[in-house]
Amino acid sequence: MRVTMLRFVRIVLVVGTVGTVALTAQQPPPPLVTAQEILDGLTPDGSRWLTFGGNYSNHRHSPLTEITPANVHQLTPQWTFQTATIGNFETTTLLRDNILYVTGPQNVAWALDARTGRQIWRYRRELPTVGLTACCGLVNRGFGVLGDKLFMTTLDAHLLALDMKTGSIVWDATLEDYKIGYASTIAPLVVKDKVIVGVAGGEFGIRGFIDAYEAQTGKRAWRTFTIPGPGEPGNDTWAGDSWKTGGAGVWVTGAYDPEQNLVFFGTGNPGPDYHSESRKGDNLYSASVIALDGDTGRLRWHYQFTPHDVHDWDSTEVPILADITVAGQMRKVLMFANRNGFYYTLDRTNGKVIAAKPFVTTTWAKEIGRDGRPIMLPGHTPDENGELTCPDITGGTNFWPPAFDPATSTFFVNAREVCATFYAWKPEFTPGERFTGGAAQRAQGPDSPVYGALRAIDPATAERKWEFRYISPSTAGLLTTASGLIFSGDGEGNLLALDSRSGKLLWHYQMGATMHGTSPITYMLDGRQHVLVPAGTTLTAWALPR
Amino acid sequence: MSWTGSVLAVATFCTMGSIALAAQDLPGKNPLQGNPDAIKYGMGLFRGRCADCHGMDARGVRGPDITQVWASGRTDDGLFKTIKGGVPGTEMPANPRINDQETWQILAYLRTLAASAPTDPPRGNAENGEKLFRTHCSACHTVNASGGRLGPDLSRIGAARSREAITLRIRRGLETFGPGYEPVTVTPETGQPIRGVKKNEDLFSVQIMDTTERIQGYEKDKMKSVENGTRSVMPAFGPDRLSDGDLDDLVRYLQTLRGFDPAVAR
Repeated sequence: MRVTMLRFVRIVLVVGTVGTVALTAQQPPPPLVTAQEILDGLTPDGSRWLTFGGNYSNHRHSPLTEITPANVHQLTPQWTFQTATIGNFETTTLLRDNILYVTGPQNVAWALDARTGRQIWRYRRELPTVGLTACCGLVNRGFGVLGDKLFMTTLDAHLLALDMKTGSIVWDATLEDYKIGYASTIAPLVVKDKVIVGVAGGEFGIRGFIDAYEAQTGKRAWRTFTIPGPGEPGNDTWAGDSWKTGGAGVWVTGAYDPEQNLVFFGTGNPGPDYHSESRKGDNLYSASVIALDGDTGRLRWHYQFTPHDVHDWDSTEVPILADITVAGQMRKVLMFANRNGFYYTLDRTNGKVIAAKPFVTTTWAKEIGRDGRPIMLPGHTPDENGELTCPDITGGTNFWPPAFDPATSTFFVNAREVCATFYAWKPEFTPGERFTGGAAQRAQGPDSPVYGALRAIDPATAERKWEFRYISPSTAGLLTTASGLIFSGDGEGNLLALDSRSGKLLWHYQMGATMHGTSPITYMLDGRQHVLVPAGTTLTAWALPR
Repeated sequence: MSWTGSVLAVATFCTMGSIALAAQDLPGKNPLQGNPDAIKYGMGLFRGRCADCHGMDARGVRGPDITQVWASGRTDDGLFKTIKGGVPGTEMPANPRINDQETWQILAYLRTLAASAPTDPPRGNAENGEKLFRTHCSACHTVNASGGRLGPDLSRIGAARSREAITLRIRRGLETFGPGYEPVTVTPETGQPIRGVKKNEDLFSVQIMDTTERIQGYEKDKMKSVENGTRSVMPAFGPDRLSDGDLDDLVRYLQTLRGFDPAVAR
């Protein structure tokens, strides 16, 4: 058939219009994630998990109640997803509109159908073959999300925005030069219209910072260094030029208090990690929690857990916020189980200590004094001959997320009972090279038992409510539910469900890998509660039988 | 780097390392031996990269006691190759990121920790030692794919332990045990206790090799008890069980056991 140009154009226009109308009619509303949804946290309908800790307070406490202490033993796997990638998960997954958004090792990421575990898209960042300086694994701890964009930090110290529907890059912002020791593994914290991230590199002589980027454009809105520069308050807590290479990275997601418009982040170890003489002074704001204005990044207050840390005790644990009753008074608190072995309840309006006690065996400090500073015990400054100190380098706990049950006002943490001999010597600084000035060796033997425990702590008193012991230390994150469950993992690869009120073990399943740094999430899907567990190279979804 | 990543990297680099090392001329003696700066840097490198397995004092944790390596007859060149190329078939990885100078620095430091080589001449009859080994040891220890499995494989013991260290272990037995050799007794609800060594364990189960070399897992809640032993199953061989002469022969034989890998054997 011969078709004239005019007629062809008419046909195309008609078809095009019809097509547009038909597509428009079929198109569901776009899955835009709003700032309000993130602010709302975990809702009773169980339809979403939109930020690292479930809500801005990092409770990891779900209102869902279908899975209970009575029926948890019936949990049945629904599907398993394998990464087919070298390296392990350290992530918290996000969920929106029945789709899971997952970051994995080596900056690979996926969107998965939550019903089946089937991949919708996969993103893989081309990483430099040489020069990456991530100290402790090519890992990533999860996405942030806003609008139709996902946000992911990278091992070569960038922040990416990906299209939620396709996984393609929308913008790519450089945080710093990976060749001189910077990396980023943190799950971004999205606050209002900004994406807040930090950098790792405390073992490479970086100067740490927290950045905020405009979610829409990737333009940097503010940067706050975790080590003050010359002339700024706190710079004099670093001898000489040691502030320039003082570390204090930020590699674990903070919390946000909308009422005060404050973000709270834990900061990493000072560098060099072990050599005291290289950086005399308190070394602010390393090994601290800092409260920053969410709009400007301006420092509102700080609390330093470990002044002049010499044991690589990053304070990059997850802060948890709540309003709790202490001695009959309602207090706005920030709860923090620290790598240094102490648990702290702070007043989050000013950083003052309300309660602080060791939650594991702690030999370096007697207690936290009335002024908030630890009362040090002698003999715990590493040298060439070594000093035995508890806890060890990995700490009483670490980056794996704790949880909080507001109904019982209980803080839960996977704790480690391990001591180590710490050694130190003067290091030389070369940009991009390790700059630790020491090492540590775990102590093990009849006098130094090594084990782990899930511990429940009363934040009003910092006293322990109960514990469940593991035969070896666990590095698993936690999830609690309103039905009285707590999900954890042990050091041997078992997924565990316990009664969150008593610590009684209810159910277990051998996952084949530990939940190292990962936490389960839970959500409703087609009317059934699911629990999703990252472990090793797998994600497994669990639900009760139909 | 993750565990899987390490394994793959090690496997890859082992292959590459072998090719590169085969072509490399080595000086025979550590050019940095006794150099104070090299010793200082070597200490940092050793403690940061090696001590997790070999211990801060280099006397061995998961990996062997390497204060004994020169005393056991290893050479600087051979140890250089071991650090760079690893030991195939063991947990000792290749270390492609440690350059030549750093390797010599590590060895310069290790020299300062090393046990001195025995001044008295070798003694004992290895041929008779091998017979004694078959009589007293091979029920539990494998050498070159032959022997029992309850105790560690000793095919490389001559390269990993000095004469003094081996002698001490035979005479006194072992008060500690490495992973996989912890003594354990599992008692079922009915039947006799099962003794063996623990291969693995979690909160709910234990995997053991029993004294008949049967490997088997047991669920703890189905057992009457699971009890850990406190002393290695390796017995002490005092002079009443093994004369001084026989001990010399046995140790001489064990010193000949240096594994299959040419980089280790020298």
